[in-house]
Amino acid sequence: MQSLPISLAAPGMVLAKAVKTEDGKVLCGPGVELTAELINRLSKSGIHVAIVKGHPIHMPDEKSLAELIKELEARFERVKDDPVLRALMRVIAEHMIEQSKM
Amino acid sequence: MEEKDQNQKRQEVRARLRYIKSLPILPPIASMLNKMVEDEEMTAVRLGAVIEKDQVLTSKLLKMVNSSFFGFPQRISTVSNAIVLLGFSVIKTLIVTSSIFDMMQSSDVGLWEHSLGCATVAGILARRRAIKNPEEVSTAGLIHDLGKVVIRAEFTKEYNEIQGMVETRRLSMMEAELECIGVAHPEIGGWLIKQWNLPDRLILPVLYHHNPEGSPEFRELSAIVHFSDILIRAIGFGSGGDLWVPPLDHQAWERIKMGKGEVKDLLNELDERIIELQDFTIQMQQTKVK
Repeated sequence: MQSLPISLAAPGMVLAKAVKTEDGKVLCGPGVELTAELINRLSKSGIHVAIVKGHPIHMPDEKSLAELIKELEARFERVKDDPVLRALMRVIAEHMIEQSKM
Repeated sequence: MEEKDQNQKRQEVRARLRYIKSLPILPPIASMLNKMVEDEEMTAVRLGAVIEKDQVLTSKLLKMVNSSFFGFPQRISTVSNAIVLLGFSVIKTLIVTSSIFDMMQSSDVGLWEHSLGCATVAGILARRRAIKNPEEVSTAGLIHDLGKVVIRAEFTKEYNEIQGMVETRRLSMMEAELECIGVAHPEIGGWLIKQWNLPDRLILPVLYHHNPEGSPEFRELSAIVHFSDILIRAIGFGSGGDLWVPPLDHQAWERIKMGKGEVKDLLNELDERIIELQDFTIQMQQTKVK
Protein backbone atom coordinates (compact mmCIF):
# COMPACT_ATOMS: atom_id res chain seq x y z
CA MET A 1 0.00 0.00 0.00
CA GLN A 2 1.35 3.38 -0.95
CA SER A 3 0.07 6.90 -0.65
CA LEU A 4 0.66 8.86 -3.86
CA PRO A 5 0.07 12.45 -4.87
CA ILE A 6 -2.65 12.32 -7.51
CA SER A 7 -0.14 13.66 -10.05
CA LEU A 8 1.86 10.43 -9.75
CA ALA A 9 -1.15 8.11 -9.93
CA ALA A 10 -1.27 6.21 -13.23
CA PRO A 11 -3.79 4.09 -15.13
CA GLY A 12 -3.67 0.44 -14.05
CA MET A 13 -2.96 1.17 -10.38
CA VAL A 14 -5.58 -0.21 -7.99
CA LEU A 15 -7.01 1.79 -5.07
CA ALA A 16 -6.25 0.24 -1.67
CA LYS A 17 -8.46 2.72 0.15
CA ALA A 18 -11.57 4.67 -0.74
CA VAL A 19 -10.94 8.13 -2.12
CA LYS A 20 -12.88 10.60 0.01
CA THR A 21 -13.58 14.31 -0.13
CA GLU A 22 -12.46 16.51 2.75
CA ASP A 23 -15.71 16.02 4.61
CA GLY A 24 -15.61 12.26 4.26
CA LYS A 25 -17.86 11.63 1.25
CA VAL A 26 -16.70 8.56 -0.70
CA LEU A 27 -15.93 9.31 -4.36
CA CYS A 28 -14.44 5.98 -5.30
CA GLY A 29 -14.23 2.71 -3.39
CA PRO A 30 -11.24 0.45 -2.70
CA GLY A 31 -10.37 -2.15 -5.35
CA VAL A 32 -11.16 0.18 -8.25
CA GLU A 33 -8.58 0.23 -11.05
CA LEU A 34 -7.56 3.74 -12.00
CA THR A 35 -8.02 5.00 -15.55
CA ALA A 36 -6.80 8.24 -17.08
CA GLU A 37 -10.33 9.57 -17.07
CA LEU A 38 -10.91 8.67 -13.41
CA ILE A 39 -7.62 10.26 -12.30
CA ASN A 40 -8.57 13.39 -14.17
CA ARG A 41 -11.98 13.51 -12.54
CA LEU A 42 -10.59 12.93 -9.04
CA SER A 43 -8.04 15.65 -9.44
CA LYS A 44 -10.74 18.05 -10.68
CA SER A 45 -12.76 17.25 -7.54
CA GLY A 46 -9.92 18.59 -5.44
CA ILE A 47 -8.42 15.22 -4.45
CA HIS A 48 -4.68 15.43 -3.79
CA VAL A 49 -3.76 11.93 -2.74
CA ALA A 50 -4.68 8.36 -3.68
CA ILE A 51 -3.75 5.29 -1.65
CA VAL A 52 -2.97 2.45 -4.02
CA LYS A 53 -2.16 -1.25 -3.65
CA GLY A 54 1.43 -2.48 -3.70
CA HIS A 55 4.34 -0.08 -3.89
CA PRO A 56 4.39 1.03 -7.53
CA ILE A 57 6.63 4.10 -7.23
CA HIS A 58 9.97 4.43 -5.47
CA MET A 59 10.13 7.89 -3.90
CA PRO A 60 13.55 9.54 -3.60
CA ASP A 61 13.21 10.26 0.15
CA GLU A 62 12.30 6.69 1.13
CA LYS A 63 14.55 5.20 3.79
CA SER A 64 16.16 1.79 3.50
CA LEU A 65 15.26 -0.98 5.95
CA ALA A 66 18.69 -0.74 7.56
CA GLU A 67 18.21 2.98 8.18
CA LEU A 68 14.74 2.39 9.63
CA ILE A 69 16.00 -0.25 12.04
CA LYS A 70 18.89 1.94 13.12
CA GLU A 71 16.52 4.80 13.90
CA LEU A 72 14.23 2.41 15.78
CA GLU A 73 17.13 1.30 17.98
CA ALA A 74 18.11 4.91 18.65
CA ARG A 75 14.57 5.71 19.83
CA PHE A 76 14.73 2.83 22.32
CA GLU A 77 18.18 3.71 23.59
CA ARG A 78 17.03 5.09 26.94
CA VAL A 79 14.65 2.22 27.72
CA LYS A 80 16.70 -0.70 26.46
CA ASP A 81 16.94 -2.25 29.94
CA ASP A 82 13.16 -2.60 30.15
CA PRO A 83 12.25 -6.17 29.09
CA VAL A 84 8.71 -5.25 27.99
CA LEU A 85 9.87 -2.37 25.82
CA ARG A 86 12.74 -4.42 24.44
CA ALA A 87 10.20 -7.02 23.36
CA LEU A 88 8.07 -4.26 21.83
CA MET A 89 11.07 -3.05 19.86
CA ARG A 90 11.66 -6.55 18.50
CA VAL A 91 8.04 -6.87 17.38
CA ILE A 92 8.23 -3.50 15.61
CA ALA A 93 11.51 -4.50 13.93
CA GLU A 94 9.94 -7.78 12.73
CA HIS A 95 6.97 -5.83 11.44
CA MET A 96 9.26 -3.45 9.52
CA ILE A 97 11.09 -6.39 7.96
CA GLU A 98 7.81 -8.04 6.91
CA GLN A 99 6.55 -4.78 5.43
CA SER A 100 9.71 -4.28 3.42
CA LYS A 101 9.18 -7.66 1.77
CA MET A 102 5.65 -6.83 0.68
CA MET B 1 17.01 25.44 48.92
CA GLU B 2 16.85 23.93 45.49
CA GLU B 3 13.48 22.39 46.25
CA LYS B 4 12.18 25.77 47.28
CA ASP B 5 13.43 27.18 43.97
CA GLN B 6 11.57 24.55 42.00
CA ASN B 7 8.42 25.20 43.95
CA GLN B 8 8.72 28.92 43.37
CA LYS B 9 9.21 28.39 39.64
CA ARG B 10 6.16 26.18 39.59
CA GLN B 11 4.02 28.81 41.29
CA GLU B 12 5.25 31.44 38.85
CA VAL B 13 4.33 29.27 35.88
CA ARG B 14 0.91 28.68 37.32
CA ALA B 15 0.36 32.40 37.91
CA ARG B 16 1.38 33.20 34.35
CA LEU B 17 -0.99 30.59 32.99
CA ARG B 18 -3.94 32.44 34.48
CA TYR B 19 -3.20 35.38 32.23
CA ILE B 20 -2.14 33.47 29.18
CA LYS B 21 -2.05 35.71 26.12
CA SER B 22 -0.29 34.02 23.27
CA LEU B 23 -2.68 31.10 22.91
CA PRO B 24 -5.91 31.68 21.07
CA ILE B 25 -7.56 29.45 23.63
CA LEU B 26 -11.24 30.09 23.68
CA PRO B 27 -13.15 30.93 20.56
CA PRO B 28 -16.08 33.12 21.73
CA ILE B 29 -18.48 30.28 21.08
CA ALA B 30 -16.83 28.03 23.69
CA SER B 31 -17.82 30.13 26.70
CA MET B 32 -21.31 30.36 25.30
CA LEU B 33 -21.50 26.59 25.03
CA ASN B 34 -20.76 26.17 28.73
CA LYS B 35 -23.78 28.24 29.62
CA MET B 36 -25.96 26.50 27.09
CA VAL B 37 -25.28 22.98 28.34
CA GLU B 38 -26.39 24.00 31.82
CA ASP B 39 -29.82 24.67 30.35
CA GLU B 40 -31.76 21.48 31.00
CA GLU B 41 -33.94 21.90 27.98
CA MET B 42 -31.00 22.06 25.64
CA THR B 43 -30.94 19.33 22.99
CA ALA B 44 -28.22 18.17 20.63
CA VAL B 45 -30.16 19.62 17.72
CA ARG B 46 -30.43 23.09 19.28
CA LEU B 47 -26.82 23.00 20.39
CA GLY B 48 -25.74 21.85 16.94
CA ALA B 49 -27.70 24.65 15.32
CA VAL B 50 -25.86 27.24 17.40
CA ILE B 51 -22.44 25.80 16.53
CA GLU B 52 -23.38 25.56 12.86
CA LYS B 53 -23.83 29.32 12.68
CA ASP B 54 -20.04 29.46 12.68
CA GLN B 55 -19.29 27.96 9.29
CA VAL B 56 -15.52 27.84 9.58
CA LEU B 57 -15.70 26.10 12.92
CA THR B 58 -18.35 23.70 11.62
CA SER B 59 -16.32 22.68 8.61
CA LYS B 60 -13.23 22.16 10.75
CA LEU B 61 -15.25 20.19 13.27
CA LEU B 62 -16.78 17.88 10.66
CA LYS B 63 -13.38 17.31 9.12
CA MET B 64 -12.01 16.28 12.50
CA VAL B 65 -14.89 13.98 13.43
CA ASN B 66 -14.73 12.26 10.03
CA SER B 67 -10.97 11.87 10.09
CA SER B 68 -9.34 8.51 10.46
CA PHE B 69 -8.02 9.00 13.99
CA PHE B 70 -11.53 8.60 15.35
CA GLY B 71 -12.15 5.72 12.99
CA PHE B 72 -15.89 6.22 13.30
CA PRO B 73 -17.51 3.77 10.87
CA GLN B 74 -20.12 6.06 9.30
CA ARG B 75 -19.90 9.54 7.86
CA ILE B 76 -21.06 12.28 10.22
CA SER B 77 -22.57 15.18 8.32
CA THR B 78 -24.05 17.53 10.90
CA VAL B 79 -22.84 18.94 14.18
CA SER B 80 -25.92 17.70 16.06
CA ASN B 81 -25.21 14.20 14.74
CA ALA B 82 -21.63 14.54 15.91
CA ILE B 83 -22.83 15.54 19.39
CA VAL B 84 -25.16 12.56 19.61
CA LEU B 85 -22.65 10.05 18.24
CA LEU B 86 -19.41 11.21 19.86
CA GLY B 87 -20.71 12.90 22.99
CA PHE B 88 -20.69 16.54 23.96
CA SER B 89 -17.36 16.49 25.80
CA VAL B 90 -15.57 15.30 22.64
CA ILE B 91 -17.16 18.01 20.50
CA LYS B 92 -16.50 20.66 23.10
CA THR B 93 -12.84 19.66 23.36
CA LEU B 94 -12.49 19.85 19.59
CA ILE B 95 -14.04 23.33 19.57
CA VAL B 96 -11.99 24.65 22.45
CA THR B 97 -8.75 23.28 21.02
CA SER B 98 -9.43 24.07 17.37
CA SER B 99 -7.35 27.25 17.34
CA ILE B 100 -4.53 25.58 19.25
CA PHE B 101 -4.41 22.82 16.65
CA ASP B 102 -4.44 25.42 13.88
CA MET B 103 -1.33 26.84 15.46
CA MET B 104 0.25 23.41 15.83
CA GLN B 105 -0.34 22.57 12.19
CA SER B 106 1.67 25.56 11.11
CA SER B 107 4.37 25.74 13.77
CA ASP B 108 4.91 22.19 14.98
CA VAL B 109 3.72 19.57 12.49
CA GLY B 110 5.77 16.94 14.32
CA LEU B 111 3.79 17.41 17.53
CA TRP B 112 0.51 17.57 15.59
CA GLU B 113 1.29 14.23 13.95
CA HIS B 114 2.38 12.76 17.27
CA SER B 115 -0.93 13.85 18.81
CA LEU B 116 -3.01 12.45 15.93
CA GLY B 117 -1.05 9.20 16.09
CA CYS B 118 -1.53 8.88 19.84
CA ALA B 119 -5.26 9.59 19.42
CA THR B 120 -5.48 6.87 16.77
CA VAL B 121 -3.76 4.21 18.88
CA ALA B 122 -5.81 5.19 21.94
CA GLY B 123 -9.03 4.82 19.93
CA ILE B 124 -8.06 1.41 18.59
CA LEU B 125 -7.15 0.15 22.06
CA ALA B 126 -10.28 1.61 23.65
CA ARG B 127 -12.43 -0.12 21.03
CA ARG B 128 -10.64 -3.43 21.52
CA ARG B 129 -11.19 -3.20 25.25
CA ALA B 130 -14.86 -2.36 24.66
CA ILE B 131 -14.62 0.90 26.55
CA LYS B 132 -17.72 3.05 26.45
CA ASN B 133 -17.28 6.07 24.16
CA PRO B 134 -13.89 5.19 22.64
CA GLU B 135 -13.87 8.57 20.86
CA GLU B 136 -13.43 10.20 24.25
CA VAL B 137 -10.27 8.17 24.79
CA SER B 138 -9.05 9.25 21.32
CA THR B 139 -9.71 12.83 22.31
CA ALA B 140 -7.67 12.43 25.49
CA GLY B 141 -4.86 11.10 23.28
CA LEU B 142 -5.24 14.05 20.95
CA ILE B 143 -4.76 16.60 23.73
CA HIS B 144 -2.29 14.68 25.94
CA ASP B 145 0.64 16.93 25.01
CA LEU B 146 -1.22 20.24 25.08
CA GLY B 147 1.16 21.35 27.84
CA LYS B 148 4.02 21.29 25.31
CA VAL B 149 2.10 23.68 23.05
CA VAL B 150 1.55 26.01 25.99
CA ILE B 151 5.22 26.01 26.93
CA ARG B 152 6.23 26.72 23.35
CA ALA B 153 3.72 29.54 22.88
CA GLU B 154 3.73 31.19 26.27
CA PHE B 155 7.23 30.53 27.60
CA THR B 156 9.30 31.11 24.48
CA LYS B 157 12.56 31.82 26.25
CA GLU B 158 12.24 28.78 28.49
CA TYR B 159 11.15 26.64 25.54
CA ASN B 160 14.38 27.46 23.73
CA GLU B 161 16.35 26.59 26.85
CA ILE B 162 14.47 23.29 27.17
CA GLN B 163 15.22 22.42 23.56
CA GLY B 164 18.86 23.28 24.10
CA MET B 165 18.97 20.99 27.13
CA VAL B 166 17.41 18.14 25.15
CA GLU B 167 20.02 18.54 22.41
CA THR B 168 23.20 19.17 24.34
CA ARG B 169 22.59 17.23 27.55
CA ARG B 170 20.38 14.59 25.98
CA LEU B 171 17.66 15.08 28.59
CA SER B 172 14.08 14.07 27.82
CA MET B 173 11.57 16.91 27.33
CA MET B 174 10.04 16.06 30.67
CA GLU B 175 13.36 16.17 32.56
CA ALA B 176 14.35 19.43 30.88
CA GLU B 177 10.94 21.01 31.59
CA LEU B 178 11.15 20.09 35.27
CA GLU B 179 14.65 21.50 35.58
CA CYS B 180 13.91 24.66 33.64
CA ILE B 181 10.45 25.69 34.82
CA GLY B 182 9.83 23.36 37.77
CA VAL B 183 6.77 21.76 36.20
CA ALA B 184 6.29 19.42 33.25
CA HIS B 185 3.87 19.40 30.33
CA PRO B 186 1.30 16.90 31.74
CA GLU B 187 0.61 19.16 34.69
CA ILE B 188 0.52 22.32 32.57
CA GLY B 189 -1.87 20.68 30.10
CA GLY B 190 -3.98 19.42 32.99
CA TRP B 191 -4.20 22.91 34.55
CA LEU B 192 -5.26 24.37 31.26
CA ILE B 193 -7.99 21.90 30.42
CA LYS B 194 -9.36 22.01 33.96
CA GLN B 195 -10.27 25.61 33.22
CA TRP B 196 -12.47 24.42 30.38
CA ASN B 197 -14.73 22.35 32.65
CA LEU B 198 -14.05 19.12 30.80
CA PRO B 199 -14.86 15.82 32.56
CA ASP B 200 -12.23 13.98 34.62
CA ARG B 201 -12.30 11.17 32.04
CA LEU B 202 -10.45 13.62 29.79
CA ILE B 203 -8.44 15.59 32.34
CA LEU B 204 -6.92 12.68 34.27
CA PRO B 205 -5.43 10.78 31.30
CA VAL B 206 -3.71 14.03 30.23
CA LEU B 207 -2.44 14.77 33.71
CA TYR B 208 -1.18 11.22 34.28
CA HIS B 209 -0.05 10.12 30.84
CA HIS B 210 3.48 9.54 32.11
CA ASN B 211 2.45 7.93 35.43
CA PRO B 212 -1.03 6.48 34.97
CA GLU B 213 -1.01 4.64 38.27
CA GLY B 214 -0.85 7.98 40.07
CA SER B 215 -4.28 8.85 38.73
CA PRO B 216 -6.99 8.88 41.43
CA GLU B 217 -9.54 7.50 38.94
CA PHE B 218 -9.85 6.19 35.39
CA ARG B 219 -6.51 4.38 35.56
CA GLU B 220 -7.39 2.18 32.62
CA LEU B 221 -8.00 5.22 30.40
CA SER B 222 -4.76 6.82 31.62
CA ALA B 223 -2.92 3.55 30.96
CA ILE B 224 -4.26 3.47 27.38
CA VAL B 225 -3.09 7.02 26.65
CA HIS B 226 0.25 6.23 28.35
CA PHE B 227 0.90 3.20 26.17
CA SER B 228 -0.43 4.91 23.01
CA ASP B 229 2.09 7.71 23.54
CA ILE B 230 4.88 5.12 23.94
CA LEU B 231 3.83 3.10 20.91
CA ILE B 232 3.49 6.02 18.53
CA ARG B 233 6.92 7.30 19.57
CA ALA B 234 8.32 3.80 19.22
CA ILE B 235 7.09 3.67 15.64
CA GLY B 236 8.56 7.09 14.99
CA PHE B 237 5.47 8.83 13.63
CA GLY B 238 5.53 12.55 14.40
CA SER B 239 7.70 14.06 17.09
CA GLY B 240 7.23 14.53 20.82
CA GLY B 241 10.08 17.01 21.15
CA ASP B 242 12.87 14.57 21.93
CA LEU B 243 13.97 11.43 20.19
CA TRP B 244 13.29 8.82 22.86
CA VAL B 245 10.58 6.36 23.75
CA PRO B 246 9.43 7.35 27.26
CA PRO B 247 9.65 4.85 30.16
CA LEU B 248 6.81 2.36 30.66
CA ASP B 249 4.77 2.24 33.86
CA HIS B 250 4.71 -1.51 34.51
CA GLN B 251 1.67 -1.45 36.77
CA ALA B 252 -0.23 0.32 34.01
CA TRP B 253 1.03 -2.26 31.53
CA GLU B 254 -0.38 -5.02 33.74
CA ARG B 255 -3.82 -3.44 33.25
CA ILE B 256 -3.71 -3.38 29.48
CA LYS B 257 -0.93 -5.78 28.49
CA MET B 258 -1.15 -7.67 25.25
CA GLY B 259 0.66 -10.52 23.57
CA LYS B 260 2.88 -10.43 20.52
CA GLY B 261 0.03 -11.35 18.16
CA GLU B 262 -2.12 -8.51 19.42
CA VAL B 263 0.70 -6.02 19.07
CA LYS B 264 1.29 -7.22 15.50
CA ASP B 265 -2.39 -6.78 14.64
CA LEU B 266 -2.21 -3.32 16.15
CA LEU B 267 0.83 -2.43 14.03
CA ASN B 268 -0.89 -3.64 10.87
CA GLU B 269 -4.01 -1.61 11.60
CA LEU B 270 -1.86 1.37 12.46
CA ASP B 271 0.10 1.27 9.17
CA GLU B 272 -3.08 1.90 7.23
CA ARG B 273 -4.32 4.56 9.58
CA ILE B 274 -1.00 6.41 9.48
CA ILE B 275 -1.17 6.73 5.72
CA GLU B 276 -4.63 8.23 6.13
CA LEU B 277 -3.40 10.53 8.88
CA GLN B 278 -0.66 11.89 6.65
CA ASP B 279 -3.26 12.72 4.03
CA PHE B 280 -5.43 14.32 6.69
CA THR B 281 -2.55 16.56 7.83
CA ILE B 282 -1.94 17.67 4.25
CA GLN B 283 -5.65 18.38 3.79
CA MET B 284 -5.92 20.40 6.99
CA GLN B 285 -2.92 22.48 6.00
CA GLN B 286 -4.30 23.10 2.53
CA THR B 287 -7.66 24.27 3.84
CA LYS B 288 -5.84 26.71 6.09
CA VAL B 289 -4.01 28.29 3.18
CA LYS B 290 -7.21 28.79 1.16
